[in-house]
Amino acid sequence: MFTCKQVSNALSKEDYEKLSPRRRFFLRLHVKLCVFCGKFNRQVMEAQDMCRCYKQHEEKVLEQGPTLDPAKKHQLKALLAAQSQPDCCHMSASNKNSESPSQS
Amino acid sequence: MPPKDNPAVPITPLEQWVEAYSDYLYRFAMSRLRNPEAAADCVQDTFLAGIKALDRFDGSRDIKFWLRGIMRNKIVDQIRKSVKENKVDIEAEDEALLESFWFKYSGIATTNPDPWQFNPRKYYDNSEFWVVFEKCIAQVKDPARQAFVLRVLEDQTTEEVCKVMDVTPNYLWVLLHRAREQLKVLLESNWTGKDAK
Repeated sequence: MFTCKQVSNALSKEDYEKLSPRRRFFLRLHVKLCVFCGKFNRQVMEAQDMCRCYKQHEEKVLEQGPTLDPAKKHQLKALLAAQSQPDCCHMSASNKNSESPSQS
Repeated sequence: MPPKDNPAVPITPLEQWVEAYSDYLYRFAMSRLRNPEAAADCVQDTFLAGIKALDRFDGSRDIKFWLRGIMRNKIVDQIRKSVKENKVDIEAEDEALLESFWFKYSGIATTNPDPWQFNPRKYYDNSEFWVVFEKCIAQVKDPARQAFVLRVLEDQTTEEVCKVMDVTPNYLWVLLHRAREQLKVLLESNWTGKDAK
């Protein structure tokens, strides 16, 4: 059987659903019966359940979220194009370097 | 290795990455960082890291999820950067909690926390509830929100979060407790308004 502190430590370190079935059983039992930490740790477990459930819905929820600024997208596209053609990129960089002294 | 030459899931050409994935990644980054500039940087860093590591992509799942996996590290980096700029100092109230009898004896904050004003379990299948939940997470104050994001949403271990935020495991416990507390209060005020009961 766990002590209150062990239960709290286990809950603070890990989602209780990730514990082994045996540990989960004793943890649930303790939280159900304990007059000291029961109320508090039951809320911690409920919060863990809620967050786990939220993560399953998250992708759908975030579909309504903000989108990236079109100017930033344009910038990103240029950056990725330069990255995917490294030779081209080096050439243009070397061209720029060769141009700059003549300009000065 | 055969999966690299002929992956199960076709790799989207690089020139289509921005159109295909930038909004998806940006939304995730915004939900974690709440800062448009940091989120945009995060997307850019993810794409660049993705290009560099593309030969390690095994094609077992959609590249979108693979990029999302890379972004997990970028989000941690951004939070580390933000924590370095605004160092997490322990508040007097939190210090008192850590020194309290109940915490030392049983690792809890109080034996009698306020009960929920409504039963959230009833709404787990309601997508509108999760939209409100997401908005409530955004309103939780830093550094509790950052601790919550790293530990709960990004699934980092306690040790990793303590390292990133430069706090002790006990203080991380307090931060997560504060995040849970605030989330409960916010949910109660934001959801019960349109609760059909």
